[in-house]
Amino acid sequence: MIRLQLASLLVVFSMTLFAQESDTTVVEEDFSMYDDAELADGAKRFCTNKVLDQSPNKLISLGYDFQGSHDVSFGPWGSLPVSSLRVKSAQGIRINSNFPVVSRVNVLLNIGVNYWETNYQIESSESHPISSSLQTRGLRTTGVTATLFKPLNEKRFVLIQSLFDLNGDYFLPDFQSLSYTRVSPTFVYGWKKHDRLMYGFGFSRTYRVGEPNVIPVFMYNYTAPSRKWGIESVFPARANFRRTFNTRTLAFFGYELEGQTYRMSSLKGVEGIANPELRRSELRIRMTFERSIKNFVWLSAQAGLRYPWNFNLDDGNIFRGFGDTPYTLENDLQNAFYFNLSVNLVSP
Amino acid sequence: MKKRLSLLGLFSVLFTIFSFGQVESEAILGVWESGSGKARIKIDKVGDKFNGRIVWLREPKDESGKPKVDKNNPEESLRSKPLLGYSMLKDFLYKGEKIWEEGTIYDPESGSTYSCTITLTDENTLDVRGFIGVSLFGRTDVWKRVIIKKK
Repeated sequence: MIRLQLASLLVVFSMTLFAQESDTTVVEEDFSMYDDAELADGAKRFCTNKVLDQSPNKLISLGYDFQGSHDVSFGPWGSLPVSSLRVKSAQGIRINSNFPVVSRVNVLLNIGVNYWETNYQIESSESHPISSSLQTRGLRTTGVTATLFKPLNEKRFVLIQSLFDLNGDYFLPDFQSLSYTRVSPTFVYGWKKHDRLMYGFGFSRTYRVGEPNVIPVFMYNYTAPSRKWGIESVFPARANFRRTFNTRTLAFFGYELEGQTYRMSSLKGVEGIANPELRRSELRIRMTFERSIKNFVWLSAQAGLRYPWNFNLDDGNIFRGFGDTPYTLENDLQNAFYFNLSVNLVSP
Repeated sequence: MKKRLSLLGLFSVLFTIFSFGQVESEAILGVWESGSGKARIKIDKVGDKFNGRIVWLREPKDESGKPKVDKNNPEESLRSKPLLGYSMLKDFLYKGEKIWEEGTIYDPESGSTYSCTITLTDENTLDVRGFIGVSLFGRTDVWKRVIIKKK
């Protein structure tokens, strides 16, 4: 009797398992049955933060930046005469990261840490305090970037980004005081019209012209129906025309306005200056080639012209806006050829 | 008689535990919509593994009006394979605590395959995390269950 019952149970088990296997057997399906559907629990749909074929997010980027030779002229400053010198090179490493720390349907938060340095080789650098400082100490930026993408629904979104940077002539690991942290927030309200187009308007408090300024911004990301080209831009900070050869090979032509204000502790007291801030801003007009060299490792090679926008010295981090308050010291840089090479780990 | 009853009881308990475990592992079965809303994926069970096939695309045709194929696949021989029906989730095993691991996810937009972990955060929501090597180097997409309307 017991044997019979055991046998019956085994039969029931087998039938259950068999039924499950049968249920999941792949058969030819009429896919049209999946056309008419709705999200369970009436969940909302939200737009995503990228357009089709947009360049991949770089989780980690290890790069090297090199500017070729060019002249620099320092204007009259107290008892110091006008001085012209030859910069043989300005080069250094650039390390960037950008990790998604919150990935929900209705909110995305990315956090990144960045470290850039620029080391100068200047002929007769000892003849002027600025060139001497640049030659011996260089310039460094250590920062954190936080980017929040908040979709409101399938068509509208808000983008908030903030940069927290320590810029100056310090050496690691001796950071300068955190009180010199420069914060650059950006706010954009935008629309995602379809998978290939998103745009938005907003404003930014930025140091891209070397000194604090508040400017309107226009974000525009687009991919053509052919999917062979597109545009990726946050005007006026940067704009790029993208050529997509395939999903693993991209080329860009465009520009970026790069800038920061640097706390120059080594110049403190020179000619009576109390809070020396070097305003550095440059327009980089360039070609970029990006290619996957192995799975998720991408190589990026960029070359172009570095056009100087600002290289002046202020006493204090004053807000000039579009006014004409004179600088403590006005300097001129010549154009220079530059290139940038980086190896990147890109995000899924 | 007592012996018979206790054996029946034991098997009933075992059967219940076994069935409950199966029900929990199969909570992932069904049709899901990706976070971008571009695709719906049907997750099935074959043996003890879970796989997911694309069963719907918001834009099923390419620019020339033909059904989309897997044109970004690194293997040339697979580039003519239709995306509808394509198996993009493969070989997931249920590891308990509403987590399915050891599988891979294929992204037809980039032609890349990633390691992947799937977590059922509630009965209608999946956290699908694709990553490179370790989970830190990854991104989570949130999928929602879809209810197919009867025609």
